[in-house]
Amino acid sequence: MTESAFVHAYEVAGADFVNAGRASTAIKETLKHMGLAPALIRRVAIAAYEAEMNAVMYATRATMTLRVTPAAVTIDVRDEGPGIPDLALAMQEGYSTATAEMREMGFGAGMGLPNIRRNTDALDIASQVGRGTTVMMTVRVS
Amino acid sequence: MSGAAAASAAAAAAEVTLGDVRAALEAATIWCPDPAVRVAGVVAADLMSDVLVDARPGFVLVTGLTTVQAIRTAAIADLAAVVFVRGKAVPPEVAALAREMNVPAFASPRSLFDAAGALHAAIGHPAAAGRGLEG
Ligand SMILES: Nc1ncnc2c1ncn2[C@@H]1O[C@H](COP(=O)(O)OP(=O)(O)OP(=O)(O)O)[C@@H](O)[C@H]1O
Ligand SMILES: [Mg+2]
Repeated sequence: MTESAFVHAYEVAGADFVNAGRASTAIKETLKHMGLAPALIRRVAIAAYEAEMNAVMYATRATMTLRVTPAAVTIDVRDEGPGIPDLALAMQEGYSTATAEMREMGFGAGMGLPNIRRNTDALDIASQVGRGTTVMMTVRVS
Repeated sequence: MSGAAAASAAAAAAEVTLGDVRAALEAATIWCPDPAVRVAGVVAADLMSDVLVDARPGFVLVTGLTTVQAIRTAAIADLAAVVFVRGKAVPPEVAALAREMNVPAFASPRSLFDAAGALHAAIGHPAAAGRGLEG
């Protein structure tokens, strides 16, 4: 059933604000080469970028795994980090624990997770405090 | 509206170009291979998630944030250009990334408020054109 799946993994380093966003940019390029619709690519890219930035801001490291099938694009962002103690709170628009330093770099609107939900067809977040967070995002192709 | 600093205006008709934006803001060109590119609207913000919520493809981002993330955010969201305001020095790595990612970029001496106001006057009122060209 998964014969035509394309899978690729990208490493993301925590606190590396110089390279932050590179994985999502690479994912966007890959989807362009595959000829997917621009509006779909944009939704995937925005969701991926928000999840990547969260990993850079809050986690030690993460692996982003892109999976493309004829039916859907899925991206899992699995990080090693502090985890999210109250997921319902974290999902609220405007809720942020970003530091003053992160705000100066343009982050901390508290809109990342809500924006991921807005741009995906399915979003699952599994988190263990003290261990890490996995964000699983799906955008349907058809 | 997701953030106090964010505002967007939709182009009443897609007749405003990057060259017009540059002129309206008395901006210097950092990287712009084609000033005739049409602008679909404007988003003014310093927080990148607000940009990703409010901007539609082809919008110009006006921001005081002179970091590589402004360029990356513009590329991710298919924006037409980034205008850095307040006459802030644009670090060479930011200019280099704009070129590398082919994101047109300008630097204006105007404040974020003045720049947004000038573009609002040039492009029109959002109520007149809804949210512009929906992505
Ligand atoms: N991978 C993660 N690990 C630990 N905490 C996280 C993670 N992702 C999000 N959070 C927590 O959830 C909060 C809300 O995240 P969200 O992405 O919505 O906003 P933000 O990152 O604070 O700001 P923005 O995304 O708008 O720049 C964060 O401030 C942080 O406390
Ligand atoms: Mg975030």
